[in-house]
Amino acid sequence: MVLQDKITRHVCPRNCYDTCGILASVRNGRIIDVQGDPKHGYTRGKLCAKGYCYIRRVYSPERINQPLRQLGRGTGRWQEISWDEALNIVCEKILTIKDRYGSTLPICLNKYSGNFGLMNFALEGLFNSLGPTTQVLGSPCWSAGLDAQMFDFGANINSDPEQLERSKLIILWGVNPAWTAVHSLPYIFAAQKNGAKVITIDPYFSETAKKGDWYIQIKPGQDGSLALALAKIILENGEADIGFLEKHTSGWNLFKEYLGSLHLEELSENCGVQKHVLMELADLISSSPPVFIWAGFGMQRYVNGGQNVRAIDALGAITGNIGRSGGGVHYASLSTWKLFNYNFLNSSYKNRFLNINNFAHEISGAQSPPVKMLWIANRNLFRQDADQKELVRALKDIELVITIDQFHNETTYYSDIILPTTTFFEEMDIVPGYWHHWIALNEQAISPIAEARSDLEIAKSVSGKLNNLRAGTCSFPEEMDEKYFLDREFSPETYDILGIDHWSLLENGPVKADIPTVSWENKKFNTPSGKFEFYSETAENIRLPALPILKQPSRCGEKYQLRLLNPHSQHCINSQFRNIDWLQTIKQESRIYIHPITANMKNIKNGDSVKIFNDNGEFFIKAYLAEATPKDTIIVLQEPGDMTQNLNKLFQGVTTDMGNKCTGNPGLAIGENFVDISIS
Amino acid sequence: MAKKMGFLVNVDRCFGCHTCEMACKNVYQLEPEVRWRKVYEIKEEYNLPERSFMSLACNHCEDPECKRVCPVKAYSIREDGIVLQDQSRCIGCKMCIMACPYEVPQFNTKLKKVEKCHMCFERLDKGQETVCVAACPAEAISTIDLEEYYQNGILDSLPGFPDPDITKPTTRFIKPRTGIQVRRDNNG
Repeated sequence: MVLQDKITRHVCPRNCYDTCGILASVRNGRIIDVQGDPKHGYTRGKLCAKGYCYIRRVYSPERINQPLRQLGRGTGRWQEISWDEALNIVCEKILTIKDRYGSTLPICLNKYSGNFGLMNFALEGLFNSLGPTTQVLGSPCWSAGLDAQMFDFGANINSDPEQLERSKLIILWGVNPAWTAVHSLPYIFAAQKNGAKVITIDPYFSETAKKGDWYIQIKPGQDGSLALALAKIILENGEADIGFLEKHTSGWNLFKEYLGSLHLEELSENCGVQKHVLMELADLISSSPPVFIWAGFGMQRYVNGGQNVRAIDALGAITGNIGRSGGGVHYASLSTWKLFNYNFLNSSYKNRFLNINNFAHEISGAQSPPVKMLWIANRNLFRQDADQKELVRALKDIELVITIDQFHNETTYYSDIILPTTTFFEEMDIVPGYWHHWIALNEQAISPIAEARSDLEIAKSVSGKLNNLRAGTCSFPEEMDEKYFLDREFSPETYDILGIDHWSLLENGPVKADIPTVSWENKKFNTPSGKFEFYSETAENIRLPALPILKQPSRCGEKYQLRLLNPHSQHCINSQFRNIDWLQTIKQESRIYIHPITANMKNIKNGDSVKIFNDNGEFFIKAYLAEATPKDTIIVLQEPGDMTQNLNKLFQGVTTDMGNKCTGNPGLAIGENFVDISIS
Repeated sequence: MAKKMGFLVNVDRCFGCHTCEMACKNVYQLEPEVRWRKVYEIKEEYNLPERSFMSLACNHCEDPECKRVCPVKAYSIREDGIVLQDQSRCIGCKMCIMACPYEVPQFNTKLKKVEKCHMCFERLDKGQETVCVAACPAEAISTIDLEEYYQNGILDSLPGFPDPDITKPTTRFIKPRTGIQVRRDNNG
């Protein structure tokens, strides 16, 4: 068969700010290279290092080519089975459980952010077509910050990030776009070229900090102290935007009073930034409108994370930067995310939801009926989840663990059945992002590799098999194709916002959603008061502080005095991309960053092998002494090298202060992890 | 006058993302271990370990050692200064690999032959940018004609870059600025 050469459009579906537009050149049914899509207005024809390696992922010899059954979890004795056999095992188990318990509640789905395509939700769709099931609720990632902005603004929206260019002062607060959002850097550079200054606030000297004009090293979890100190100085210097505050905010007088009660010395001591530096920063902020604050995700992963984001929002408000072109406080946007219907998430059943961030405990604690089957998808649960020890223990009572993936990983190790799945080059989808305002179509470039099936196809096959075994078991529309499922994701309003009358027109290129370029420009907020809320009754009603008052992060205990931070690494997204051979050629040896004084106290020298430990476990790694590391903190990048050890074993799963409102549960406060180190 | 093409590497812009290197691999579908372009950390300098980088490919030298030592005359210099290697002549003796001070020629173990960056000359001839230049999200790499290009503060070497006197590389550099650092251990 002669296949036509073609160029297909794609969207990178990873959990990443950039959600890049991609073009794949296909010759004889095989992708020969990938390029950035020049019609994508934010990523403008460029990809990142990971993106340019996609061919090595699609055609990796390590891909799982057909369904596998493990003869004993963790034995590594994998048996290749046919799809029919795999579906039989899965579906017979579903029916057995259903008969035994008179319910489908013992069947549990744990899925998260491995792919953010609309069609990946087909798995929720499958579960929601079975009956009441057990699913996870929440997000390990961004929950606290979403709630914080919801309390203050009443919605999770941002300005078009292309607005960065118009800013005169950019504050990159706990975010490292040079590693995690490379396509934002040109906008930041352009602003710098126009005379803007860039301040990076981070506990460690990141690559982004290197590119800025100011680097402020903050004590981890003390962002609230810094933001409140700056707000207080600006207010007391008479530089607050009283017009904005009086007209467009609610609770200003109470907050003003609160700022008056704070002591600068104490705030300065808390955040580790000296008073004269605070003064200088406050001056810079007052004198450089518009100020664009980008609040990152790492900063809110503390027990006071949401409260810290609220303090930063307050700083944005007090300086009148909210609703200003080139200004504002930007965290994440759900504007384009919410354009779609998410039909797969509709359920007519009363599902049981477990807290995604307390999953290990809740899955074993779930009773009447207990959980008996666990289905994991779009997630490397046994790498990324907290409290790994408990998670492994919880598996004992699970009769069947099914994982959908492309590669073997920590999670397949603990699985009974693996169903091989497609990459996004092998399926059609729409992938919204959470930062820029573009929407693009992901076309199918090539046939699925070997026997891989998309999440949608898997949902359809399971439904087919179930109904074959027992008619009427599953209501998932098994005869329909992805076009049908995409059609129903779009409403006339969505088409209006996208300026197209059918999604297939996205074949011609990505489009930018017609949503406000400048968030809150009209100063009409979605809060109950319609104003920016310093005083949030919504927060108060769920027993959170009404005002953005200061809350402290966790303190270290006697035994473990070093805070362990593990920010994202450069060439992986969580555990994705670690096995890509091209990227392995540039991989730096994993290392722990220690301040020389801290290292000296522990008799650790540069290059020594170090043991990081606490009561939960241990982790071995090479020492790298760097003065830019705080003395009370050690840093290990989230570099999942091999499968022999897992840093998350050391983290028991403390959760953030906020997250219930927007995601159903608090997030993971992964910055609150205390350890000790020694020479191993 | 003939051109003298070279790469201009703006270290102030580069943030070490390796996109250039992977974009090059993607277009030419290189073997994993073969690196036509490499991003190096600039160590022990500017007081900022591992936060400055230089992205280097072939330096398209005026007096290339690869060309001098090659026993089968696989190397040639174009009129515009681009150093080409004709892989069909290569016998895989690795003399060039040993001779190049910049570790540029790469051995392809499958073909048992050497290969290296050719500055995407076919693209340049069509008026297009090289793959690395087009892909760089920081606009940190460009190709320049040294006969025409002049800008203040351009350097012909950086710490860690072998002595340019040996082979007269055409690569030029813009060095990094350093912002104000307010660290907790140097406060005040």
